[in-house]
Amino acid sequence: METELIEILTLVLFFVGFYGLITSTNIVKSIVFISILETSVVLFFLGIGYHTGIMPPIGADLDPTAVADPLPQALMITAVVIGLTGTAVNIVMFITLFRKYGTASWENLKIKNAEQDLC
Amino acid sequence: MTQILLIFLIIMGIITVLERNIARIIIYLAIFSLIASVGYMLMGSPDVAMAEAIASAFTVIFFIICFEKYFSFTDAVIGSGGIARRRIIPLIFTLVLFGAVMYFRPISYDTMYLGDLYIANFTYDVGGTNPVTAIYLGYRVYDTLFEALVVVISVVAAIHLSAFSDEQMKTGKIITKETHSEVHDSGLAVYAIQIICPLMLLYGVYLVLNGHITPGGGFQGGLAIASFFICRYMIYNVTDLPISKIIRMEEIVFVSITIFAVSIVFLGAMAYLPEHLYLNFQIGYMLIMNALIGLKVACGFIILFYRYIVIEHDGVEL
Repeated sequence: METELIEILTLVLFFVGFYGLITSTNIVKSIVFISILETSVVLFFLGIGYHTGIMPPIGADLDPTAVADPLPQALMITAVVIGLTGTAVNIVMFITLFRKYGTASWENLKIKNAEQDLC
Repeated sequence: MTQILLIFLIIMGIITVLERNIARIIIYLAIFSLIASVGYMLMGSPDVAMAEAIASAFTVIFFIICFEKYFSFTDAVIGSGGIARRRIIPLIFTLVLFGAVMYFRPISYDTMYLGDLYIANFTYDVGGTNPVTAIYLGYRVYDTLFEALVVVISVVAAIHLSAFSDEQMKTGKIITKETHSEVHDSGLAVYAIQIICPLMLLYGVYLVLNGHITPGGGFQGGLAIASFFICRYMIYNVTDLPISKIIRMEEIVFVSITIFAVSIVFLGAMAYLPEHLYLNFQIGYMLIMNALIGLKVACGFIILFYRYIVIEHDGVEL
């Protein structure tokens, strides 16, 4: 039951980020909402097997029923770091685009791109 | 408690979605990451919480560095279509999608079979007292190798996309007309950062070297070490690091991670050792791998950060 509630809440968070992503008119806002989507996915994975009073898995002789599952944690550490590098590359791509077209709006970008094709 | 934090996160997400000012959105993103980090901690994963805390600081710094010149403060052009096309149709689409996901969601009991197996055996199989480190250095070392590869690829992509002369990159000297950081004008900030700076480096090294027995490890420690160099830039406003040498170092460290992990784990070098050397060898393996991963992550983020400064100083050519 507790796990299910956590699962539903993270799904709601995912769709909040999704709504922001499909309605955003600005490139920077899109990059921010991609970060929110990543956070919701990480929360979803960490919520697997959650129960009240869960302990961090540190120590030699652990009780498997009392501690959190270490497998999703090990995968999510890499996901967080990769998400950071992804954001960095996204921002560099945005800066390159801004230098070329001078705009941060998706609509304006489309218009300017069409103009350059015509020339 | 965790559920309440998640509801806070959802409210924060809705506020971020509805906000139009981009400066505020970046601040909201920082608050969002902070709450998420506390949530990870409450879900029993201090390692991920630490990684998220440092990574969110980096994200915000990356956004703020490019902020002044490149971001317009609000959405300039709304685009074609009225409020129905811009807001209501996407909302209906999202709700329908959410309903479909909730309806077709597979409902089953969580099985922690692999997790239980790892918890029972990790002290003998890999060593240390932190199962998370044991998993990403022992049982699932493949993932770590490919993660290192992804970091290398993103650094290469960032360098490729931000084109500027090789001369500056070789010497590392960037001629600046105006100073970017105004932190050094404030005496209080400089003193505070000067006190914090060495502690941060010490903390990063501690995280790397104790990753196998306490929460922490190569990824978090590497990020902390890279944040030391950001502080250094803020105090002295210098970019005198030889970036091309750091890039070369990152490549060499990546190759050595691959060779080391392949020779130890896949070729089974441990199997040829006598029993009394086995434990020491395990600890040595985890220490060296954590140190190499920390060095690699630190190099990657130092390069990314200094590239941002270079782009920022270069100015806009329209």
